[in-house]
Amino acid sequence: MEVTSLTQNPSISADLYVTCIIDQLYPEVGVSAVKVLRRMGVTVGFPKDQTCCGQPVYNTGFNNQARVLAKRVLEQFRDSEYVVVPSGSCAATIRVFYLELFADDPGLLAEAKALASKTYEFSEFLVNVLNIEDASVFGAAHQGSVTYHPSCHLLRELGIKTEPMKLLSTVPGLEKKELEGAEICCGFGGTFSVKFPHISEGMVSDKIANVQASGASTLVACDMSCLMNMGGALNRQGSDIKVRHLAQILDADSD
Amino acid sequence: MTPKPLGTPKAEFLAGVRQALGRADVPPTEPYPRLTDTTSELEVQAIEVRRRLAANLPALLDQLADMAAKGGWNVHRASGTEEAVGQIETIVKESGATNIVRSAQEVFDQVPVDAALANQGTKVTTVIKDHDNPREALREEIRQSGVGITGADYALAETGTLVVLPRKGLSRLVSLVPPVHIALVRAEDLLETLDDLFLLRRLEYHQQGGEMGSYLNFITGPSRTADIEMTIVEGVHGPKEVHMIILG
Amino acid sequence: MPEIKTQDFSAASVAAIQNPKLRRALDRVASGFEVARLDRVAEATPKVWEDWKQQARDIKAHTNEHLDYYLDLLHTNVTAAGGQLHFAKDADQANEIVAHIARTRNVKIATKSKSMVSEELALNPVLESIGVEVWETDLGEYIIQLAEETPSHLVAPALHKSKEDVAELFSEKLGIPYDEDIYHMAATAREVLRDKFMEADLGISGANFVVAETGTLVIITNEGNGRLSTSAPRIHIGITGMEKVIPSLQDLSIFLRLLPRSATGQRITSYVSMTTGPRRSDDEDGPEEFHLVLVDNGRSRMLADPNLREALYCIRCGACLNICPVYARIGGHAYGWVYPGPIGAVVSPMLVGLKQAKELPQASSLCGACREVCPIKIDIPRMLLDLRNKTAESPDRNLRSASKSERALAGLYVKLMGSPRLLGMAVWFANLLQKMERILPFSHLTKDRKWIKKSLVPPLSKWTRSRDLPALPKRTFHDIWKKDLSRDDS
Repeated sequence: MEVTSLTQNPSISADLYVTCIIDQLYPEVGVSAVKVLRRMGVTVGFPKDQTCCGQPVYNTGFNNQARVLAKRVLEQFRDSEYVVVPSGSCAATIRVFYLELFADDPGLLAEAKALASKTYEFSEFLVNVLNIEDASVFGAAHQGSVTYHPSCHLLRELGIKTEPMKLLSTVPGLEKKELEGAEICCGFGGTFSVKFPHISEGMVSDKIANVQASGASTLVACDMSCLMNMGGALNRQGSDIKVRHLAQILDADSD
Repeated sequence: MTPKPLGTPKAEFLAGVRQALGRADVPPTEPYPRLTDTTSELEVQAIEVRRRLAANLPALLDQLADMAAKGGWNVHRASGTEEAVGQIETIVKESGATNIVRSAQEVFDQVPVDAALANQGTKVTTVIKDHDNPREALREEIRQSGVGITGADYALAETGTLVVLPRKGLSRLVSLVPPVHIALVRAEDLLETLDDLFLLRRLEYHQQGGEMGSYLNFITGPSRTADIEMTIVEGVHGPKEVHMIILG
Repeated sequence: MPEIKTQDFSAASVAAIQNPKLRRALDRVASGFEVARLDRVAEATPKVWEDWKQQARDIKAHTNEHLDYYLDLLHTNVTAAGGQLHFAKDADQANEIVAHIARTRNVKIATKSKSMVSEELALNPVLESIGVEVWETDLGEYIIQLAEETPSHLVAPALHKSKEDVAELFSEKLGIPYDEDIYHMAATAREVLRDKFMEADLGISGANFVVAETGTLVIITNEGNGRLSTSAPRIHIGITGMEKVIPSLQDLSIFLRLLPRSATGQRITSYVSMTTGPRRSDDEDGPEEFHLVLVDNGRSRMLADPNLREALYCIRCGACLNICPVYARIGGHAYGWVYPGPIGAVVSPMLVGLKQAKELPQASSLCGACREVCPIKIDIPRMLLDLRNKTAESPDRNLRSASKSERALAGLYVKLMGSPRLLGMAVWFANLLQKMERILPFSHLTKDRKWIKKSLVPPLSKWTRSRDLPALPKRTFHDIWKKDLSRDDS
């Protein structure tokens, strides 16, 4: 994928694909993402008819249904210069899985490829497009220890391995704690978590045991779906550990 | 007379495969590189293999010793045949074996084990079938023996592997049934990589008009298993103790 | 074919998870093999490892694309070497072939070295029914034969058993005193099987690879039973799937580098044994007859499907099982048929029928770890998605089996998400229900109104069994954007 590097004060426009989970359940994460982008001088747009990218339906095999939602995304972001997505799994859906969904339709496939070429996951956009190397430019500080969980689609579908840590490790005041078994899936997997709850529960309980063992007071990731899963399990256990999206850590106004 | 094949006739089976592939009888569109090598091309490659070996012999012998040890061989370096014989005497003595078997390979002309072992009261049977030694009797000898000694056809530095090609005078069972196996490796048996080994085998196969013997065995270390609770146990069905004596 | 229990996956996986002993056994395997594999990958260096994987994949892709050509070549060369190649379209035919050979050659005792395909055929009962004594000789297979169970892992068939289990089994079946020393138990197996190797008339093996160029069968082993079974008896029958063919002897190098490292973390196994026909007249030992049985049994279905063909590239190393967080919790038996784990979730449905095994491809979070460790770069998550798509939408009624309620739910979801207006109404309604939670028992909000402790509505109820749900916030991001953010005031 072509990545254009820009200077610290870009005059670029990026449209936010906020994702339905953030829109409906964690709007504060969307707010932080917008603030962080604006702080870097990005003009942030928000196509207002956006909803779900179709991932839950795609993952359960209902491709025809998924295409209905995917076409909406193609349409709404057709004129965007950049599309920034604060979610590894949704970014992967747009950038990778839409190409599968539209493989048999040359016209739509061309559109999907065009969209893919300008769609970035949030941390990827900050590091590889805005060229940020030091998170102190965001004006955020974090007092306390943080452990980071790399979500599966972010890591393996998008290959985003170093960008989040590059940012986290340069946030003033932030203490990094290693997470044992970091790359093991947290057990969400979308509908998997409710179709096979016993397996999912087993996976998340292993994961939060590792989170607790890390000694961190905050768990950070780039996907609210994973954080909803791990956070929900942590809270049920009465844990004090907070869960935060990377955008919230980088947002000077957020804790 | 070719026996009538059982199961589905070849033509029918292959037609089914072609149908699955959605096409008629079409061989690969580009010849598969390794199947178009002519014998003379293989010969040229083999010469290069030998040249590379000769140029790096001491380093490759060291690599063999290192990888063999990593692979579980007890490795002994012998500067000469006398030292090798001495090492064999020691190993056999420590094994407590009174009967041993060996193959009938050229290396034993250079390394005279029979006399030395006879001296310490060990019975040595060379496993080569003839009128006096029918196969069944030899098999029984192998079963009763405490040590099996072979030479090498090749030794691979890349993996620390002994390569044996069973044939007349080289029983498959000598390196397999007795609980201890000693392998004598000479510098001329050495090859560097797996690729080198397979090249030479292919060369022989094509040079001989499609024949390279019935069997080929790689041996790297003792017999092992981890089937019970992932605990490694050595000497399950094959030898428990394997020694590689490298001459040179 | 062995009994198919794939339809019991849900119940079987729940039972497996509730078994702490199984968990301990699975932990041992994952940590043992995977840790060693990682060491080997690091030692080779990631760049070299990646290069090896691509080479291997290219060979498998090419071979399967021209499978007819290579099977034909293999047949020619096995025959030229004095062996016999038999093609079996299905399990019954394969079993018939082996039984026929056993019968006509007066076979009384057979020793078997490990063959997953023979498990797929359920060969042993067929031989036993014609009076052949069958002895599994791989230690793990021997254990499960005594226990009358099926293998639970591709490489270590008895890994679900603790040493206490094995000690009890040996004591019961062999009539020896209970002894849980692992070395003693291995020695017992060696003792018991020693004579059988020598007495056997027939040795049966699988094959890791069969080489078209020379007509050679290759087995990659550690115990020595593979060598004994293919050397001592007067007849050797190799049984394997038709996709195991590779073009040239030269290709073996790359697979010998990848398979041991991926399977057990070894640089190379104790033995690699290559058979090209029966013994030659001058050989000191070796079988007088060599037979190779190549099995289809549904593999052509995968071959014919461009989305699923790469499932045939599998070299059965088990690395995907060792890394899979689902397998790590439920073990191999829960999958209900011969092939477990990520690759099993594709192969088992394709061989037994997707409808009967439709849960297997569903039981994955699609984390992709399997694809990452696969030495042939097989894209298992893609194939799982394809099978899910077939279950949901295939025009073929033999494949399509998603429930009415699932289809309805998917339809409803898309309707809502397809219309911001409808979605807005639905969210408004949900908020209302949440406010009324003291009156209607749909949710149990915490005092700070941030979490839902319990939902009675499936599927949310499944979530709240063990996890809290976030409560609906007062405003959506859409609302906030409209009211507060749409003017850029940075």
